[in-house]
Amino acid sequence: MLADNIDRQERSLFVAFTVSATFWLLLTTAVGLLMSFKFPYPDLATSPYLSFGRLRAIHTNGTFFGWASLALTGAALYVAARTSGIPLAGRRFAWFSLWCYNIAATLGTVTLDLGMNNGDQEYREWVWWVAAIFLLAVVSAGISTVWTVAKRAEHDIYLSNWYFIGGYIFTTILGVTAALPWYQYGLGQVAVQGFYMHNAVGMWFTFLALGITYYVLPKLLNRPIYSYALGILGFWTNLVFYPVIGAHHFEFTPLPWWFQTLAIVFSVGMLVPVWAGSGNFLLTMRGRWESVRRSLALPFIFFGVLCYFLGSTQGTVEALRSAQAYWHFTNFTIGHSHLTMYGFISFIAWGGIYALLPRVTGRAPSVLVTGMHFWLASLGVGIYVIVLSVAGTLQGVHWIAGDPFIVSVESAQPFWLGRAVAGIMMFAAHVLFAYNVFIMTVGSPERSASLAQPSGAKA
Amino acid sequence: MRNVWVLVGASAGIYGALAFVMGVLPGIVLSHVPATPGLRPLTAEQAAGREVYVSEGCAYCHSQVVRPLAQDKAFGRPSVAGDYVYATPELLSDHRNGPDLTNVGTRQPSDVWNAIHLYEPRALVAGSIMPAYPYLFIVRTKALANETVVPVPAPWGPPGEVVVMGPQAKALIAYIESLKQVPLGARSP
Repeated sequence: MLADNIDRQERSLFVAFTVSATFWLLLTTAVGLLMSFKFPYPDLATSPYLSFGRLRAIHTNGTFFGWASLALTGAALYVAARTSGIPLAGRRFAWFSLWCYNIAATLGTVTLDLGMNNGDQEYREWVWWVAAIFLLAVVSAGISTVWTVAKRAEHDIYLSNWYFIGGYIFTTILGVTAALPWYQYGLGQVAVQGFYMHNAVGMWFTFLALGITYYVLPKLLNRPIYSYALGILGFWTNLVFYPVIGAHHFEFTPLPWWFQTLAIVFSVGMLVPVWAGSGNFLLTMRGRWESVRRSLALPFIFFGVLCYFLGSTQGTVEALRSAQAYWHFTNFTIGHSHLTMYGFISFIAWGGIYALLPRVTGRAPSVLVTGMHFWLASLGVGIYVIVLSVAGTLQGVHWIAGDPFIVSVESAQPFWLGRAVAGIMMFAAHVLFAYNVFIMTVGSPERSASLAQPSGAKA
Repeated sequence: MRNVWVLVGASAGIYGALAFVMGVLPGIVLSHVPATPGLRPLTAEQAAGREVYVSEGCAYCHSQVVRPLAQDKAFGRPSVAGDYVYATPELLSDHRNGPDLTNVGTRQPSDVWNAIHLYEPRALVAGSIMPAYPYLFIVRTKALANETVVPVPAPWGPPGEVVVMGPQAKALIAYIESLKQVPLGARSP
């Protein structure tokens, strides 16, 4: 059975967002995989267009603003319309958003590969006019969402829409703040960069992913969310605490000491929204593990929630000065960013797509392939995070011991090979996901009737 | 909540205010710190080299900030705010797959070493994972009169040909060698 109120155009929109997101996932994680082999084999592919320093920004910006942004926005637009009880409003804006995302990701990838970047500033490497096209996509999706919510048939604004509308607004303000040059000279730019890089993650991906989870979990489990109030608490505390923590990326630098301390204090404060959110989700799943296990989508959501809890709590611990003295500058940070952006964000995106796309197209993904996707991706990222955490700890210990720098490189080398193996597993999972997207959209003419079951028990 | 415009207004207002206080305001204040006495702006060639540095993403593995921690002593004195007055875009970075470069011009001032190292790092440092940048150089059968030959040791050079400095390599090396901390004068012990 298909979801209510779905018309052909809304279906095409969700499909188009998901298919293009999948394209960016494949391309940019293939780039990531190539990079992971450059650590054990640094003389692999020394052409300028395949050089590490250029691919690095293509990987991060492409996975963030190509894959994750498209995947989450596509699902979020679907959820906004369903929770408002009306068909999606402002369709032209939604389509315009899709085009802008893809144009920005294409131009961003090409310009970065040509060596044009915005000063090696992490997650804002795209030159300003590419970033502006991306912001147009965010604003357009936001207009469509606010329009839909304003016209809604339901009495209250559902929690998911709080998070979506918040995400679009925060990211627009953040993008403008990061792009204006007048207060970004020398150390001033360092302060803005600290503010930007963490908010780009926490005020955008976190908000969209949480909004999707607040819809998918109760829908598939056919039970209300454990606490609506905890969801509201998470919204406001995330909004107030997150913008203050950016300077924890630059501890022990010449940024004012009190400014760094403030960031550390609020990093501890972040435990409130993180535990409120992840606790709320886990308590919603409590006692229904059999439904979770039998569903195709819910294991992804469960793993995503777990990584949200683990990764964000790890972030708080990492922000403490004593931990930074060991782990800052090391590969531990790269492990952390994959635990969060991959374990949390990408898994929620997959869970959302597996839960919602079949309701739109009437075509279920392959059970076997979905299972393989889940295990390869979860084991892959598990290995990834563990080996890089060990490598990072070793690097930090060698530096503190006063060893020559090259010792820290040689010590990390076996773990970098392990990371490349984990990368193969993760990339294989993405290929399987792409196959499933094909099956769910155009691949199979058969339409499954069993999708109507709320738990998604059989597919 | 029932009025979507209240949600939109409250979100935009609160976050806008926080973005100003936590992003823009520190940016304004710290953009105006005075330069460390003795610090000089980059020459045109060094600035061109810095653009190559940014373009090739060197900051993804090399930091340019020395912390007041024992393990950073090898990289120089602790960095101060005034050190970054001429450093826009900032390149502090938060990765050290390679060593910090704040003061590398003092540690490694040799043109020849830096050129060979950029052409093929493993020719000089076994176990290095730094990418090789052969495309910043020109390979010819014979160097032209005004060109500088890079003595790449066997077996790392192109057999039967010579490696000469390209304009980008020249600029990048000028920039790398310009990375020297100025002493803090009276304040330094």
